[in-house]
Parts: sequence; structure tokens; C-alpha cells
Amino acid sequence: MLKRDNQFVLQTETEAPGFRVELRGTTFRLVATGAWTITEATVLDQELQRLKVPIPPSPDFTGEMDISGIAEIDTAGAWLLQRTAGAWQRGGLKTRYAGATDSFRILIEEVHRRGQAEKPDIDTVTPFKHFLETTKTSLAGIWRDTLALTSFLGEVSAASVRLIREPWRFRPVSFIHHLDHAGLRALPIIFLICFLIGAVVMQQGVVQLAYFGAEPMAVNMVAILSLREVGILLTSIMVAGRSGSAFTAEIGSMKMREEIDAMRTLGIDPMDTLVLPRVALGRRIAAAHLHGRHGRACRRRRHGLGHAGARPADLYRQAARDHQLSPFHGRHDQGAVRGRRHRAGRLSRGLRVAGSAESLGSHVTSAVVKAIFLVICIDGIFAMFLAGIGQ
Amino acid sequence: MIVEDGREVVIRVRGLAKSFGSHQIWESLDLDVYRGEILAIVGGSGQGKSVLMRVITGLVQPDAGIVTLFGIEEHALTPEARLAIEQRWGILFQDGALFSSLTVLQNIQVPMREHLDLPQSMMDDLAFLKLSMVGLPPEAAHKFPSELSGGMRKRAGLARALALDPEIVFLDEPTAGLDPIGATEFDHLIRKLQQTLGLTVYMVTHDLDTIFTVCDRVAVLADKKIVRTGSPAELQSKPDHPWIEEYFCGERARAASPAEERRVAG
Repeated sequence: MLKRDNQFVLQTETEAPGFRVELRGTTFRLVATGAWTITEATVLDQELQRLKVPIPPSPDFTGEMDISGIAEIDTAGAWLLQRTAGAWQRGGLKTRYAGATDSFRILIEEVHRRGQAEKPDIDTVTPFKHFLETTKTSLAGIWRDTLALTSFLGEVSAASVRLIREPWRFRPVSFIHHLDHAGLRALPIIFLICFLIGAVVMQQGVVQLAYFGAEPMAVNMVAILSLREVGILLTSIMVAGRSGSAFTAEIGSMKMREEIDAMRTLGIDPMDTLVLPRVALGRRIAAAHLHGRHGRACRRRRHGLGHAGARPADLYRQAARDHQLSPFHGRHDQGAVRGRRHRAGRLSRGLRVAGSAESLGSHVTSAVVKAIFLVICIDGIFAMFLAGIGQ
Repeated sequence: MIVEDGREVVIRVRGLAKSFGSHQIWESLDLDVYRGEILAIVGGSGQGKSVLMRVITGLVQPDAGIVTLFGIEEHALTPEARLAIEQRWGILFQDGALFSSLTVLQNIQVPMREHLDLPQSMMDDLAFLKLSMVGLPPEAAHKFPSELSGGMRKRAGLARALALDPEIVFLDEPTAGLDPIGATEFDHLIRKLQQTLGLTVYMVTHDLDTIFTVCDRVAVLADKKIVRTGSPAELQSKPDHPWIEEYFCGERARAASPAEERRVAG
């Protein structure tokens, strides 16, 4: 802000802003006083809005903005003065400024000059049109996503095949690193969740089956339920949420800082260095599924003991039979496919992050949501398929 | 208010020390910034030029020393007083640091919205005014930062820094990453805004052209303190320090000077 004596005006010395309009001879004068700054702008704006533009009785009447009483002025103050002067001018009064210091004049002239520029209109859309637009974009988005994911899976597959031909391209250090981060460190939480869900299902199962006198069957129920569906699904969802977001954010921020472009120009294929080590993890995730299953199986047995009052040996025998009966290998493969699939989705998301922090955030969210969605979809398809082939 | 040689000292730094781990960047740093001047802070890499700006603006805590802002010691500030002081300065970060989820216009209005209660139409008008003052076309108003070029982002960042008509603006490497034409325009813009708005400008820079064209005073950071301050011409004619000599009398400096006739008319 500009101060009248330029150097030494303390904040507290400045008086409240104000103005009055008077007629002297043939001149309408707006006498402004105090600090015309942005902090006071709201009050000044209201009062100036209420001020009527003086109507000159004859053409030789003029207007004057007397600002000799202004102690401080800034852009907002100058803009308010200029707006009033402009209104007077349009009303037929030739208006000039009086009592401006050099620095005040520079500012007011600048504001006057800058205020001439046309403002572009923002396109306003009706809510209905907006709704149609969003629907269109999201439908197109789904199609684009499908295409992108398919082509990304293709690229990954091509890169994997190339990896078999040229095994030295594989990055063992990176692979082990991700194995540790997304695999090993995910185990405790997956174990805990599976255990808790298993316990809840067991407890509810025992209570419900008691009506039929079939408490011991609760063990079988939980075994089948968790081995066939819930265990794998839970693990997939946990992994999708936990490491999925981390991968998208990591690769996304690398994309934002042009690290991915740097890699490409250095002749390093981001597929090999970033994507494959993580996709290879899909297999590791399948192992995590297994782990989840075993974890739940153990707890289930122990839990079952208290509730159903069965003999431990029986329970173990039952559970062992379940293991043999369950389509163990088929399911394991299914887990692997799923792991790869949602992983690929997330990685392709990461590579599509564009420029801004918001874009990163929205891609992370949509990566996790879509990964979970895909996991559940594929789970359903496999469940039907396996039932169809009599597994 | 601190007055020295008939000029108001808006920022006074005394005995500042800071270290990161085992690396000490300053031992005892003193600096005065006077009202209405354009001050450039120069120094080699790792001398803590940007950190000094961050200490003054309260983003980084120093290990020792006193920072006085507008005559008030920084550590004695109540949260309310700090808020009031924050309205009296504007900061332009190196890449503009615009909020990426807001348009340029909304970015400029953020400080107004946060600190004041202005009607929307007035905020729009003022934001367009600021936009025009920093030399951006009105069409840029509804664009997002990611749609702007580096130079435009800097200008938009400057417009946001100027939103509340501050008394001081801090500029962190204002011309870095701009082409020579863009950088020269930016230099002139700074000088013009400084005159129009009566600003005090504190800038961290490497750009010898900027220093010779617009700066009133230069403070040199070396040997863990401010070794010298003075006008660019003074430092060039009497370097008195190996780093200053290398900086102001080196090959690039000779290309950027002679200073006086190139100065923007002030």
C-alpha cells in the first residue's frame, strides 16, 4: 500500500476511511479521507454503492475526486475511486483528481488503464446439460479405461515374454524391495483381518446352526467359505487398498517430476524397471492369499473348540478334509490372475497421472476403487466358471 | 518501528544461526531490509539463500537469533499478530506454488477470501486487475495452473502474492527458468510494480541481469554470514571478497554490466 508521506506512518495512526460529497460552485466534489485499503474495502464499497451519481444541471458542471485527505491507498482503494469517477464521467460530469501525490497518481492511472480490459465470460451451463455432459464423459471414460487397461496388460505381457527371452533385464533388487514392502509387510494386517473375520463368521455360524443341532458343521462352513471366497477376496481387497494406493502415488509422483520421461530418454524401459517387479508381485500376492487362508483355518479351529464343544482331533480331521476337497490349485491360480490384474490396473493409473496434485489424488482413489471393483467382478466370474466345470 | 539513516527498517535479522544435522549454514547472520528498496540476496549454492527467506517468513525455525518484522520480534508474536503480519507480505515461490485444483482467478482470490469479507463481484474485479497488472491476458483467468507455461505460472503466482496489496514481496528466484526475453520482461514488471504499489522487494536470485537492472542493494551470503551489502555497482568496483570478485567481475558479470545505463529508469 502507498502512504502519503511515504515513510513514516504507523498503522495505528491512520484514521478510519470515509468520504463526503459536496457541491462547491459548479464542481461536485467527493472528499475522501483516511486509509483506502483492501481491509476497509467492504464498508467503502457499500457506502459508495449507495451514493447516487450527481446529475449535472448544466454541461459546465464538473466533478472532482479530492484525495488530499487520504493517508494510505492501495489497489482496492484506487479501484473504488476509479469506479466512482467512471460512473460520474458516464453521468456527464468531467471528473478529475485533486490532491494526489506522485505515487498516488501512478497507482490510480495504472488501475484506470488496467481496468479497461474486457473480462472473458465463463460459460455457464444448465444443471441438466451439466448432467448430460458428466454422463457422457464418464461413459467415455469407462470405455477409455477398458482400452487403456487392455493395452497396458498387452504391454505387460509383451514385456514379460521379452523377459523370458532376455532374463538379464529382470531387476532382482527392485523385485525383492517390493516383495518386502507390499508382500511381507502386508502379512500381519492380512493375517489379522482374516483372523477377525473368520472368528466373526464362526461365532455367527455356531449360533445360527445351533437351531438345527449342527454346530460342528460350522467348522466346515467357515472352511469352505473362507477357502473358496472370503479369504481370497479379503486378501485381494486389502492388498488393493494397501499397496495399490502406494504404487499409484509413487509412480504418479515420479511421472509428475518427469522421472519417467528421464528413464525413457536414458534408454531404461519403465516397463522393466517399474512395472514388472510390481507385477511379478502378483504371484507373491497369491501366496499371501494362501497365508490368509491358513491363518484363518488355524484360528477357526481353535475358535470352534470353545463354541461347539467338539473334540480338537475331529476338528483337525474335518479341516484337513476340507483342504483336500477344496479346489485348491484352481483357486490359487485364480488368486494369481486377480493379483496381476488389479496390480496392472493400478500401475497404468500411475502412468496416466497428469501434472497436478489433484490429478494424483483422484487417480490414486480411482485406482483403488477400480482395483477392488475388478477383484470382485473377476471373483464372481471365476466362481461361476468353477461351478460350471464342476469344481 | 526501527529507523536507521532516516529509513525505516522493515525486516531486521540479528545473530541468526541454523544448522541441518552436522552442516552449519550460518553462524551469526545480520541483515536489514529497508522500506521501498529492491534487495537481492546472492550467494553460492548451499549458502542458505532460500532458507533465509523461509526463516524470515516463519516457515523454518532458526537455532538462534532474532528476526524483527515491522518492528515486532517474531518469536514474541501472538497467533493473531502473526496473521496480521502475514497479510502484509506476499511470497512468490520458485514455481509459483499455485494451488493446482483452483483456477488462476480463484488462486488470486484465496488470500482475499481467507482474510477479508469482500463481495464476490469486487473480488473478481480486483483479481482481474491484479492479473492485468502482472501482464497476464484475461483469458488466463479461468485456466488451471497445469495449463499455463512456466512464465505464466510465475506471473500468476506474483498476482496471488500481490492479492492483498502487501508491503513486502518475497521472490524466490523470480527469473529462474525463464528465457532471456521473459526474464527481462519480468525484471521490468518487478520494477514497475515496486513503483506503482510502493513495494519492498526481497528477492533471492542468481541472475546477474536482474541484479544490475532492477536491484537497489545486494546482500552477499558467504562464509556463514552476510559478508557485504551494497549497490551492485559498489560491489563490482570494490569486491573485497574472493567470492564477490568472482561473481561480480567474472565473465558473465562483464556481459551483464555496465550497470548504470541499463538500469530501468526509476
